[in-house]
Amino acid sequence: MNTPAIEASLDQLVEATRVNRQVYLDPDIFDLEMERIWGKAWIFIGHESQIPLSGDYFTTNIDHKTPVLMVRGKDHKIHVLHNRCAHKGAKIVTARSGKIAGAFRCPYHGWTFKHNGNLLKIPNESGYENTGFDLNDSCNNLQPLAQFDSYRGFVFASLSDQTPDLKTWLGGAIDCFDNLCDRAPEGEVEVAGGVLRYEHDCNWKFIIENLNDTMHPMIVHQSVVQSAEAYISTLDADAAKQKQEAEILLPFGASYENFEDSGITGFPYGHHYDGGKTSIHANYSVMPEYHKAMIDRYGEQRTQGIYAFNTHNTLLYPSLTIKCAIQNIRVIRPVAVNKFIVETWSFRLKGAPDEMLQRTLLYSRLINSSASMVGPDDLEVYRRLQEGLASNSSQWVEMHRQFGRDQQLEDRVTGGGTSDLDVRTQYKAWRHYMLGEAML
Amino acid sequence: MNQSPVETVEEFLYREATYLDQADLESWIQLFTEDGTYWMPAMHEQPDPMNHISHIYDDRVLMEIRKRNFIHPRAPSLQSPVQSSHLIANIREKGTTTIGERIIHSNFHIVMWYREEQRVFAGTYQHHLQSTASGFLIKHKKVQLINPEAAQKSIIIYL
Ligand code: FES
Ligand SMILES: [Fe+2]
Repeated sequence: MNTPAIEASLDQLVEATRVNRQVYLDPDIFDLEMERIWGKAWIFIGHESQIPLSGDYFTTNIDHKTPVLMVRGKDHKIHVLHNRCAHKGAKIVTARSGKIAGAFRCPYHGWTFKHNGNLLKIPNESGYENTGFDLNDSCNNLQPLAQFDSYRGFVFASLSDQTPDLKTWLGGAIDCFDNLCDRAPEGEVEVAGGVLRYEHDCNWKFIIENLNDTMHPMIVHQSVVQSAEAYISTLDADAAKQKQEAEILLPFGASYENFEDSGITGFPYGHHYDGGKTSIHANYSVMPEYHKAMIDRYGEQRTQGIYAFNTHNTLLYPSLTIKCAIQNIRVIRPVAVNKFIVETWSFRLKGAPDEMLQRTLLYSRLINSSASMVGPDDLEVYRRLQEGLASNSSQWVEMHRQFGRDQQLEDRVTGGGTSDLDVRTQYKAWRHYMLGEAML
Repeated sequence: MNQSPVETVEEFLYREATYLDQADLESWIQLFTEDGTYWMPAMHEQPDPMNHISHIYDDRVLMEIRKRNFIHPRAPSLQSPVQSSHLIANIREKGTTTIGERIIHSNFHIVMWYREEQRVFAGTYQHHLQSTASGFLIKHKKVQLINPEAAQKSIIIYL
């Protein structure tokens, strides 16, 4: 990597209303993003409900290559550890999830480690006597991440000890975790119904820049909306069930005005959401049995308040997006400058009828599956970006919409639902992480 | 395509595969009963399509919408042609469902060409076939990939 040259150019790449195409194309910039954004920010690891019992673990990569694991300790506490043996470096566990039998045991020379990563035993230990090797040196443990913490069950970790604490970092966007959990009559959610994995042949930033791009659905998803409408028009008046099913696809054709009214709210560190007062999810009907469970728990007024916080998509820059009203999340994992994986996870609202999870899964399947009629059209336009930006005809990608009309409040910025406020918010964070500019 | 009244199970499965090879969703949907379903689970031994995520679980409603979307001129992902070749083998009868449909298992290999890339899908089909006066109809088709949990690229046509 030609670091000095890149370093000198970094400052020129992102302006207030446009970004240089190289941020999507240049492998050296990708490497720097991994080091400075993914290597500093709080990255979503998993949810506590995935590892309910002592010894349960869950593995992932925290960036494009660093393997980590999240494990429930003997004391029931959660630990996030590097998935790398302290001896010669073998990856300790390879399953996506599992349960350790007593201790972690490296498959190479059999070193064992406690739930919290501390070294337990080395076979034939006498060979280390008088060699200068110190059995009690913490470097012989599975190394904990520099920081890890959780909020309402959502576990995050950071490779940097310099990043402010999780709550500070989440800022006002923390409301989305509260709202998601409060939508459960028991006030808690749990991961349920499995994961969909979707490989994207393009830069990781395209999906998070598209998340609150409300100028695209009526174009990119026009075909599926019109296909659903065309099918509905063939139905007899008594085909209510078919009509209801087809209608789930119609919000993607919502008007510019509708999206404009939902507004966008940006926060420090690149987080943002659209909606809050209204969104394309505002008109989903509430199931009577679920509603009753909510009223029993919270009372009418608080329940209505929970429903009314109606965000569409939330981004916790750079790794996590949330749909509170749908109860699913997407987890972003970069692989290379032109490749990333997105995972779709669904949540069960504890205390809610099974139909609520089934509705979440239906949504994930119809919208986020690699075999859906929505996700592939989004991916196709990201790939068009990746391919089109190879052209030398311009160096710039613009983000002017409604620039200068954003309202700076104490802890957040608000603006129109069709503005580029979301992308500008992300690139403020990008400059913070990449160039060390002040965030707050 | 002519449908012989004495079409065997094997011939029926080949005809179905041919419609998919030709991306003829109009004819393909006609092979299903009105309440027929198509299921591609996202794990091995997935107990049901409702309480766990699937890649696809389509009933007639979604098939009808997909069929229209597939030929819509403005679906960005469909502006690149898709071409597939299905091979079906190891066809075996597995008895009948409680309501008398024949259960047929088979193995498939599909090579798909899409967006300048050739991809391979492999796994097992399970068909539940109803025998009607005009031949077989599919009540349920399950597509069990050998790698249902793997990250997939866009799958823009039924397998
Ligand atoms: S590498 Fe793990 S015990 Fe040797
Ligand atoms: Fe989209």
